[in-house]
Amino acid sequence: MGAIIRCRGVEKIYRQGAVDVPALRGIDLDIESGDFATLAGPSGSGKTTLLSLIGGLDRPTAGEISVDGEPIVKMEKNRLADLRLHKIGFVFQAYSLIPVLSAAENVEFILRLLDLPMHEREARCKEVLREVGLEGLEKRRPSRLSGGQQQRVAVARALGPKPAIVLADEPTANLDSKNAEELIALMAHLNATSGITFLIATHDSRVMAHSRRRIEMMDGKITADERQDATVAA
Amino acid sequence: MMSRFMLLAPVAWRNLWRNPRRTLITLLVVAIGVWSILVFDVILNAWVTSSREASLRLLTGEGQIHATSYLDDPNVAHRMSEPEGRLLRALNSPVVSAWVRRVRVPAVIQSEYRTRAVTFLGVEPPGERIVSDLPSQVVVGHYLRDSDDIGIVIGRDLAEKLKTRLGKRVIVMAQAADGHLAERSFTIAGLFDGSQAAQDEFVFTGLHTAQSALGIGHDISEISFDTAPAASLNDIVSALKHAAPSRGIEPWTALSPLAYAMESFSQSYIAMWLAIMFVLMAIGIINTQLMAVFERTREFGLLQALGMRPGMILFQVTLESALLVGIGVLVGVLLMLITLVPFRHGLDLGFLAAGAEMFGAGRVLYPHLDPGDAVRYSLIVWALGIGAALWPARMAAKADPIVAMAES
Ligand SMILES: Nc1ncnc2c1ncn2[C@@H]1O[C@H](COP(=O)(O)OP(=O)(O)OP(=O)(O)O)[C@@H](O)[C@H]1O
Ligand SMILES: [Mg+2]
Repeated sequence: MGAIIRCRGVEKIYRQGAVDVPALRGIDLDIESGDFATLAGPSGSGKTTLLSLIGGLDRPTAGEISVDGEPIVKMEKNRLADLRLHKIGFVFQAYSLIPVLSAAENVEFILRLLDLPMHEREARCKEVLREVGLEGLEKRRPSRLSGGQQQRVAVARALGPKPAIVLADEPTANLDSKNAEELIALMAHLNATSGITFLIATHDSRVMAHSRRRIEMMDGKITADERQDATVAA
Repeated sequence: MMSRFMLLAPVAWRNLWRNPRRTLITLLVVAIGVWSILVFDVILNAWVTSSREASLRLLTGEGQIHATSYLDDPNVAHRMSEPEGRLLRALNSPVVSAWVRRVRVPAVIQSEYRTRAVTFLGVEPPGERIVSDLPSQVVVGHYLRDSDDIGIVIGRDLAEKLKTRLGKRVIVMAQAADGHLAERSFTIAGLFDGSQAAQDEFVFTGLHTAQSALGIGHDISEISFDTAPAASLNDIVSALKHAAPSRGIEPWTALSPLAYAMESFSQSYIAMWLAIMFVLMAIGIINTQLMAVFERTREFGLLQALGMRPGMILFQVTLESALLVGIGVLVGVLLMLITLVPFRHGLDLGFLAAGAEMFGAGRVLYPHLDPGDAVRYSLIVWALGIGAALWPARMAAKADPIVAMAES
């Protein structure tokens, strides 16, 4: 299987006033299509930084990154936005829904940016909301959804366009353990059924338990990268 | 573009009401701005119309014909023959709605007690009733009946100054055709009201009476004409010039420069007011929209992270401002219409009549909102408002998608 994500010699140095903060110090990483990978490591090890570079939200100081075969490091802003729209789904830690839109509208908003015809859009919207178990809550605005429900909407929204990969940064950090467990089981299930690739940065050992590939980071470097059999979801 | 509009317009609408207080304040600022621009426009237009009417409907008409040297020196020597041939045909064409002949010379009027300098006019009463409001302003006695009327109609104020009254006799002296001083006695048939200046200056008798008093046969001093509603005054003036190359033909804009100045400068006054109000509105709009954008920096970053192009974010925020300013403009127009209701029958300036007359306006102003002006100024404010809001919108479009990653 081909690599959806390919990083070569990726470095990122943040400049804070006169001080240079090296966040990534040479990352070589391939993520295979269909994988369910977690990115673990202590705080400050560079997980968020790596995800933001892969998602084209920021540019590396050095190195090459390609997404689905397209090099993105020098890609122009609008093309990057388009690439994110079509190929990358994001799930952030929290508060990532558009507050004035209902659950269904949040999902549909992205599908409309993609210019899908209305019937396809509605069908797809229904489908993903059902997949994440939010039937009956479609019309609720984010402020009337629980944290766990909001994250499910975010997952549904990320999956809507059938992206090449979903990047999630600490998706369970703001959830209680029951909701965290359910969310992670849901993502693992979706990976298994739809074959969509997931790369999840997390501290959460329950998340890691589901992963098939554990990548460990420390001080901006990958220190371990091992495959494992995922614990079967409940 | 259309599908983007359909997608973003409802979002823009909902975003407006996330902070209703701020939105309402901006709405109010825009509404009051538009309202004040329209009030200014309405009053100025009423004033312009009134001063134009006051002058044109007194004696000027929309244009006049004289012997070429008459306007420089309006004496009896500078008279002209009755219109005939091509000029007569041109005056009788349908684009000229009415025209009258007049004798008009400087004169002196004398009562038993006093003497005053006036302008003595011989007029055709039926025609005057059409081109001038003066015949209807006779408040004591009656206006002249026809061109052979031998009575005289003078201003009520002049009568007071001459210490005379209706039915009394006065003597009018003026230079006759042969150079001698012609003198004739008249009985006062009517007194007219109206502008102070007109009351003191003009005295009227029948056209034929004046012609015979001055010994000028059928000659006249001036022709005053009005144009048909859809006709172009400039075209008519050139047609008349063509028909009578040796006569002087002037449109009202040349005969009544004050009224013309009011009309031509009113647009610049409105533009000035619009500019002032607009600067105030722009400060309000930019201020609130910048606040709204700064509060949502993370959201704009998030939208970009999700794949929305910066240009679309600019469009989205601009749409919000367009809605906001647009509603404000509509409210302003509505306020204006409500304001006009009490004045629909006219605004009586009686309490400052003397002051108003100084600027050539009549006593009562008739405010009326020109739909063309309302639409024009509304669109200008709307477009400028959107322009001002481009700055906040660009700030929004510049939001860095990386902020989406920031915790909480
Ligand atoms: N915008 C920034 N400016 C300066 N330094 C930054 C910036 N973002 C991250 N860093 C630094 O880069 C390093 C890596 O940060 P990063 O957020 O990627 O770590 P992380 O593994 O996601 O940590 P956590 O588990 O706390 O989320 C840290 O030392 C952090 O202080
Ligand atoms: Mg992090």
